Amino acid sequence: MSVCPPFAPFFGFGGVASAMILSTVGAAFGTAKAGIGIAGLGSFKPELIMKSLIPVVMSGIIAVYGLVVSVLISGSIRPGEYSLFSGFTHLGAGLACGLTGLAAGYAIGIVGDSCVRAYVHEQKVFVGMVLVLIFAEVLGLYGLIVALIMNTSAIGGDKCPTI
Amino acid sequence: MSEQVVAANTVQATAGRSVLIKLILFSLSLGLVPITSFFASQRYMWNGNSTYAAITAVVSANIVLVAYIISSVLEDKGDTSETMRKSTMDTKKQQ
Repeated sequence: MSVCPPFAPFFGFGGVASAMILSTVGAAFGTAKAGIGIAGLGSFKPELIMKSLIPVVMSGIIAVYGLVVSVLISGSIRPGEYSLFSGFTHLGAGLACGLTGLAAGYAIGIVGDSCVRAYVHEQKVFVGMVLVLIFAEVLGLYGLIVALIMNTSAIGGDKCPTI
Repeated sequence: MSEQVVAANTVQATAGRSVLIKLILFSLSLGLVPITSFFASQRYMWNGNSTYAAITAVVSANIVLVAYIISSVLEDKGDTSETMRKSTMDTKKQQ
């Protein structure tokens, strides 16, 4: 069992893919669910559409988190000098960011849908809606922070034993 | 009466145009600003340290989000003051 087996990049790129894919699934759910509420609102009060697009923008930010983590991880994978430790670390980082992005996007979608529908009837719901959305998005930010911390432990050049 | 309706419709259309331009601008910046800030800050500011570059990208994405929230709140304030001004002018005309 070598320190740098040739299948180590499988786990590294698995982390890259899962960061992007899972956070995008979360962002897509958030955008779709909030979009349903906005379509309902738009038929009654079209002048409120700019403010009610805030959940959609926040779902986009979740996808940006996944994009940043996958760009970050894929920048440090080199063929031939990549240890299995780095592969597992990058897989963990990608999964941390991706699954928290999935959770955050789910929360943003449900909150955005119901809060946007309530905003039609009561204008003062807006501040509460923004606060709840910020708390939902911070979940994705926590996953990004953990992914960054895990990634720093894998930086520094892997010392692969040359045979 | 029909003149006013036509004027109101054109104002509506032009207001819709500005909203569309603003939305397109924000969508493009939300897509481009984080990635360009990641690579630019990695090369020019942090000497290749990718963690700080990632933090810079995340901060810039959140700045775009805050700018969107502020602009939507300001636009709503501008609209309400405009409609209040118009309604007072209408009541004055009716008198």
